Amino acid sequence: MKLWDLARTANRNLFRAKLRTFLTVMAIFVGAFTLVMTNGVGDGLRDYVEMQVKTFEGERILFVRKKLPAELEEQANSSGPVEYKEATEDGEGNLIDPNSVVVSLEQIEGLKDKRPDVRSITPACRVNPEYISVQGGKKYQVGIGMLSEGVEQKLEAGKMFDGSDQIILPIHLARAYDENVGNLVGKTATLAYRVGNDRELRSRDLTIAGVATRGMISNLNAFVDTETAKAIYTEQNGDTPNFNYFNNFTIQLERADSELLESTKERLDKLGFVGLGIADIEKRTYDAIGILQVGLNVFALVALLAASFGIINTLVIAVMERTKEIGLQKALGMGRFKVFLLFSIESVLIGFWGAMLGIVSAIGIGSAANAFLSATYLESFEGFSLFAFRPLALGAVLLLVCAIAFVAGVMPAIRASRLDPIEALRYE
Amino acid sequence: MLETSELRRTFTSDAVDYEVLKGIDLRIERGESVAIVGKSGSGKSTLMHLLACLDRPTSGRISFEGRDYLSLSEKERDRLRNEKFGFVFQQFFLNGRDTVYENVVLPMRIRGAADKDLRPKAMSALESVGLGDKHAKRAKDLSGGEKQRVCIARALVGGPDVIFADEPTGNLDSKTSRTIEDLMLTLNRDKGITVVIVTHDEDLAAKCGRTINLKDGMVVDELGEDDEAGEAGEQI
Ligand SMILES: Nc1ncnc2c1ncn2[C@@H]1O[C@H](COP(=O)(O)OP(=O)(O)OP(=O)(O)O)[C@@H](O)[C@H]1O
Ligand SMILES: [Mg+2]
Repeated sequence: MKLWDLARTANRNLFRAKLRTFLTVMAIFVGAFTLVMTNGVGDGLRDYVEMQVKTFEGERILFVRKKLPAELEEQANSSGPVEYKEATEDGEGNLIDPNSVVVSLEQIEGLKDKRPDVRSITPACRVNPEYISVQGGKKYQVGIGMLSEGVEQKLEAGKMFDGSDQIILPIHLARAYDENVGNLVGKTATLAYRVGNDRELRSRDLTIAGVATRGMISNLNAFVDTETAKAIYTEQNGDTPNFNYFNNFTIQLERADSELLESTKERLDKLGFVGLGIADIEKRTYDAIGILQVGLNVFALVALLAASFGIINTLVIAVMERTKEIGLQKALGMGRFKVFLLFSIESVLIGFWGAMLGIVSAIGIGSAANAFLSATYLESFEGFSLFAFRPLALGAVLLLVCAIAFVAGVMPAIRASRLDPIEALRYE
Repeated sequence: MLETSELRRTFTSDAVDYEVLKGIDLRIERGESVAIVGKSGSGKSTLMHLLACLDRPTSGRISFEGRDYLSLSEKERDRLRNEKFGFVFQQFFLNGRDTVYENVVLPMRIRGAADKDLRPKAMSALESVGLGDKHAKRAKDLSGGEKQRVCIARALVGGPDVIFADEPTGNLDSKTSRTIEDLMLTLNRDKGITVVIVTHDEDLAAKCGRTINLKDGMVVDELGEDDEAGEAGEQI
């Protein structure tokens, strides 16, 4: 029999037992539907996070921190007290202090001198603001971040810094002053902060360079340029013992080159630092979502597993019911493999129709849910769709369900293929 | 064309051996019409299944056109049955919900024939059994005699050399039986198809060119009806 004839015969056989086929297809449908939905939630989340995380760009940038004492230890997971160790020199004149996670400015700057492919190294200067006010308007609380040279923030309006004493406002804050945030670009924002033991209030006028696009990390923070951050940092910390000791710094490379990025990371690793590119940071987030997604999908797969027993059951009954028919086909010269194929195709078809139904209804219900949720509960999560359906993922579900159905059909199909035609024709 | 020597078939059930065929030597020539007769349980069906390559003997040999069945692979056995043999059974084994046409073309589909080649073959087979106008009917809507004629058309459609029939009239009234018998023997006479018919029906056996009488697993006497002297198999 030709494959096409087999498929047609298989389809006809399924239709002959309409109710039974329908019920089995429904079981598969439930599993496939669940799988598409759980996977869709993961992808929806991933899309959303991507939208959020992608507010930063900078292919030449590495965010660096010193390794934690535990990461330096041979037995990193020992839970006992960590022994104090004397600082050592690394041979290039740098002091390596295994007891602390902060790095001195000299050491940070020392890193640059020896690397021709490093354009700049910027310590992350922390700023503790008191309030912000635009054009002498209402005062608001605000967080301040520093954008190192080479890190790009996606902007709703305006452009990145082109000098010092500049600020980028988060969109919420900007909207509080002007719904049309573009109007704020070029205007003056006053940033107030406290200095010294007597908490003297000082302020600085900054030019608004732009307004940041809404993002997960940067939703509440305003950003200032490195010069400004450094200046305020110095004012606030200049007389403390921790001055010019930093937790983090960024390295800007001369070229956006993934090999250079990797080799720099390796070198940093040897020097006792951890360097992460923006891609690495994104990957961590995606990995977390991936784990969540796998967890959800496991539930759907359990449903599919249960449904596959339905397929086995249906086909076992079909083989019994059609013993004579199979016997006749074999007597008339149909080979074992073709009989096997016939039942396998029936099995895969059940999977196929179940998966198609599941996919179509999941898209329908998912889209309706998206529309409903974004108008109600998820209104504040602009641009977030709970379910995202990617053609590739849908195709994968279809294939997977068909594969599961095929496997479920193997046992009954082998039974059918092994029927002895004489026995089968005699069978009452 | 069909030849057996020292053919034995033993069935084992509940650890007891039943020797159903105890050494059968046979020759059936091309174009013969042969009736296999004998009491119930004498091994007629068993013999036919062996001849038709549906079953394997416990010992002894069978060959078709000089090809020993033992030398055939599973695939070759399937092909032999599909291409050279046609089958008619006591039960019809028709697919009631399918059309007469679909039932008839089954052997051709199994062979993998192209759709366009099916129609002329099926129609001519149906014409031969006088059912040319019923091809679009559901098989379940036919009378018993018509059903058996569909089965004959199905046996005929692939252009077989031999048609094996196991009690083809066993389920039919005597008048319908005569039609089926005549039909089978007409095919034998006009198309030169060898027919091997297992039957209880003495009328039918009498119409065949030769009768093989089985008793206790042995051929007891072999008679050519037209030639009592036993020059069996020469007439066409
Ligand atoms: N698969 C089997 N297992 C065990 N015994 C079998 C098997 N097939 C046939 N037999 C036995 O072999 C004997 C001959 O069977 P067979 O079907 O050939 O008889 P028959 O001559 O065709 O009888 P009938 O006229 O009733 O159809 C019977 O006794 C039957 O019980
Ligand atoms: Mg019998």
